Amino acid sequence: MGLFQKLAYFLGVKRKEVNVLVVGLNNSGKSTVVNRFKNEEERVTQIVPTVGFTIERFQNQNLAFTAFDMSGHGRYRDLWEHYYKDCHGIIFVIDSGDRLRLVVVKEELDLLLQHPDVCNKKIPILFFANKMDCKDALSSVKIAAALGLDKIMDKPWHISASNALSGEGLNEGVEWLTQQIREIVMAKN
Amino acid sequence: MSSFRRDKKEDEDGGNMFVSLEKTTILQEARKFNDTTVNPRKCTPILTKLLFLLYQGELLTVKEATDVFFAMTKLFQSKDVVLRRMVYLGIKELSCIADDVIIVTSSLTKDMTGKEDIYRPAAIRALCSITDATMLQAIERYMKQAIVDRNSAVSSAALVSSLHLTKLAPDVIKRWVNEAQEAINSDNIMVQYHALGLLYHIRKTDRLAVTKLVAKLTKMSLKSPYAVCMLIRITAKLLDEEESLNDTAMIEFMEYCLRHKSEMVVYEAAHAIVNLKRTTSRELAPAISVLQLFCGSAKPTLRFAAVRTLNQVAITHPSAVTACNLDLENLITDSNRSIATLAITTLLKTGAESSVDRLMKQIATFVSEISDEFKVVVVQAIRALALKFPRKHSVLMNFLSAMLREEGGLEYKASIADTIITIIEDNPDAKETGLAHLCEFIEDCEHFSLAVRILHLLGKEGPKTKQPSRYIRFIYNRVILECPSIRAAAVSSMAQFGASCPDLLENIQVLLARCQMDSDDEVRDRATYYSNILSKQDKSLYNNYVLDTLQVSIPSLEKSLREYTQGSTNQPFDMKSVPLQAIPTSREEEHHKHKPDGMLVSAGPIKAAVSNKQVNYAEKISELPEILDMGSLFKTSEVVELTESETEYFVRCIKHCYAKHMVLQFDCLNTLSDQLLEKVKIQVDPSEGYRVVQEFPCPKLPYNETGTAYVVVEFPEEDLVGTVGTFGAVMKFVVKDCDPTTGLPDTDEGYDDEYMLEDLEITLGDQIQKVSKANWQVSWEEAEKSFEEREDTYSLSTFNSLEEAVKNIVQYLGLQPCERSDKVQEGKTTHTLLLAGVYRGGYEVLVRAKLALSEGVTMQLTVRSADAEVAELITATVG
Repeated sequence: MGLFQKLAYFLGVKRKEVNVLVVGLNNSGKSTVVNRFKNEEERVTQIVPTVGFTIERFQNQNLAFTAFDMSGHGRYRDLWEHYYKDCHGIIFVIDSGDRLRLVVVKEELDLLLQHPDVCNKKIPILFFANKMDCKDALSSVKIAAALGLDKIMDKPWHISASNALSGEGLNEGVEWLTQQIREIVMAKN
Repeated sequence: MSSFRRDKKEDEDGGNMFVSLEKTTILQEARKFNDTTVNPRKCTPILTKLLFLLYQGELLTVKEATDVFFAMTKLFQSKDVVLRRMVYLGIKELSCIADDVIIVTSSLTKDMTGKEDIYRPAAIRALCSITDATMLQAIERYMKQAIVDRNSAVSSAALVSSLHLTKLAPDVIKRWVNEAQEAINSDNIMVQYHALGLLYHIRKTDRLAVTKLVAKLTKMSLKSPYAVCMLIRITAKLLDEEESLNDTAMIEFMEYCLRHKSEMVVYEAAHAIVNLKRTTSRELAPAISVLQLFCGSAKPTLRFAAVRTLNQVAITHPSAVTACNLDLENLITDSNRSIATLAITTLLKTGAESSVDRLMKQIATFVSEISDEFKVVVVQAIRALALKFPRKHSVLMNFLSAMLREEGGLEYKASIADTIITIIEDNPDAKETGLAHLCEFIEDCEHFSLAVRILHLLGKEGPKTKQPSRYIRFIYNRVILECPSIRAAAVSSMAQFGASCPDLLENIQVLLARCQMDSDDEVRDRATYYSNILSKQDKSLYNNYVLDTLQVSIPSLEKSLREYTQGSTNQPFDMKSVPLQAIPTSREEEHHKHKPDGMLVSAGPIKAAVSNKQVNYAEKISELPEILDMGSLFKTSEVVELTESETEYFVRCIKHCYAKHMVLQFDCLNTLSDQLLEKVKIQVDPSEGYRVVQEFPCPKLPYNETGTAYVVVEFPEEDLVGTVGTFGAVMKFVVKDCDPTTGLPDTDEGYDDEYMLEDLEITLGDQIQKVSKANWQVSWEEAEKSFEEREDTYSLSTFNSLEEAVKNIVQYLGLQPCERSDKVQEGKTTHTLLLAGVYRGGYEVLVRAKLALSEGVTMQLTVRSADAEVAELITATVG
């Protein structure tokens, strides 16, 4: 690290870099959520199903996020675990209009929470109850209850209803996440 | 490996960071990739080391590879260009080892369609290496766009990757033809070349489409010299394959290319023209003059290419190459040894007898300086020379033996030994010296396979020389000094001497007794076996178990024995039930020699299964439902075509002979795209005595597919002479008109139709299997007592020379000529042809034909066979 960078680091001017993992079932809107976080000029107009994963970058309040946008397709869900290590936060996107697969969501969430790389660490988890504009969308409270989020004791979590198409609710969530990560990083230093 | 590394270190003085790499350390270091912030300056060297290891052939387990692969995927977060490109390379290398490589698909697609041009080609290549057939659909759209991309590197990468993907999913790639067509109009020379490569690859199975492609492209004058070279190759292949093609346009195109401004194209055209199977001297002349011009070029590559081509065609077009002799003479002293070697060998092939000595002396001065590959070329030239000028054998033989003594690889040594063996076989005068040289060679030979071969040859040829005893010392030395496989071969070889030379028998027995104390099982077994047989003092035993080798086909013997051990019969194993080994015909041998050239335009891998052909047929036939039990397949004859090749239906017949039956296999090809044939049946009209036993029609015959129908006939029981005859044949079938594009029939109703085929001949040769007798004379004498004999004299007025007569007799009788009696010495007016074979049912047949030349050929034919009727049959059918 060069002298200037060191100096900048001590003064807190330099942006801290963090990794977050974006997971959720297929067609829940992960790529669309991540796309919203990016600058206006970098956004893509058309979102296609992700195969494997993509890496996207965005910033929020002096924190530089590197988001691993994972594919939610059944075939690729086993591959999420390769990226649990070294991640500072998890964004879990849920399609709140899809009542039928809520059990699948719960199962995937439980698997995630039980994974050795996740279970004993204080990783903040941000839930987006996405597609809140849908007619028969469940409220965020109902989803939290259905997924049994109140049982998560060792990790900070937060659920916010969102609409990734319009961007509604996204900022609120990500500001919470930024705050949490900042606290954890500060505590470590 | 270690020496290579040391060399490298010496070169670089400063030491090499890659010298002492360990897999485990690298894998440990690769964990750095997982760090939150990627440091390109640290990660790039780690990836380099990893790639270095992989390129060195280090193997990773699936787990290791997968771990490192997933760690690598995290490097996508860095924007460093160098690191990203290393990641692409890493993905390509690991794509075939690691699991779930599909995970990077989206990341790569993003790079491939992104703005950063430097990423795009590499991303395409990496993407195609991780894709499987199911995922291909998902990226198809991007690939199509990439093929027609304006950036030439992207387009080339997409085209070449598509070419690789054709192995995976040929159907998908076929849909990209339009894009490839567009790319062929590109201004970039590489894109054009790659596009042509892809187009040809997609269409290469469809000859008509290739012809159209060539016709179109020859007119539009491609910009890229590479593409033109490729086009020349495709054209040459088409011309060679299609004999009757109307080809003036193609030939004209090649001639036009001789005046192209790129030297590469000019050479390619000249090369193609001289290598065409049927060039006329009119076409040859300009091509040769181009090569001649190249011989005098200042560029070594051109000189080399020209002289190499001339060398290759020196045998086929000697007169044309002779025209360049003056230029070749100049090249003898060329500073480039490869060029000089090729020049000399070309001259040797075309030159006169008088110049041999001079040229050989010239080669000897630098033979030690050239590589093995070129030494093989020299040896081949010497072989050709020895066959052409038998009188020069002493010069050539001395030269060969000097070469044998030098260092060299197996291929080189084997080609020398081959040459010596050919000379020995061809020229009796050279036999003693040749054997002496070979004996000397095995004294110090590091190649097992070669030593074994030479020992076998000594066993065969040694006993027939004037002083067989001198070889025994050489052979026994091997028993003392060598490894088990060579010792075993030496034991077999000694036994041959014991069996053929009665005065040496006693000494051989002593030696064999010593060998029975050997430490190796195989050697002891052989020694005991031979020692026992030799002690019996029985000529016929010698003959059957020492001098003659096993004549059954090894794969079928293995199969029969396996079946026998699995079955629960009390009967002893019957050797006669095993089919005999078919002796490969010269045509098949030639086929083996034909080497593929160039990746795309090659004829595909050579089928190694030639010798197993018969076994395959037998299996296919035995799988037919409700087929009779006919015993094992005795002989499969050559394919006979029953139609002209350009007709509506193409039918070929293969005759399979069993002990009492003959199976006729008809391979039918439907060449009409608007017809679907059903219930295809071949109705044969057998000659008298034959009985049609079973028929197996082919249920369905769609366009461009080969179907097979079988007919089983029974041989006439009483009258053996009646087995030779002519069958009429008609193909009967139900036609349904169908849509040429889909192949689905228009209606369910079809109509009956039939198609006349040419007559099918059943000859004597179909019923006789060739058997090679190493010691024909002994068998003949032995047969005098036990076999039936028939004799007759014929006058064969249609033949004008002995060679012609011998060739025809061998072909007609289907017997194997023994003791090289099929080669008639020049200038003689009499010749004795010795033949051996086995008639169906296992009756051995020996034939001696004494021929005399006097206004036509007179032949006295003596047949000895275990069965009187068979002997009768043979004498009756000749004439």
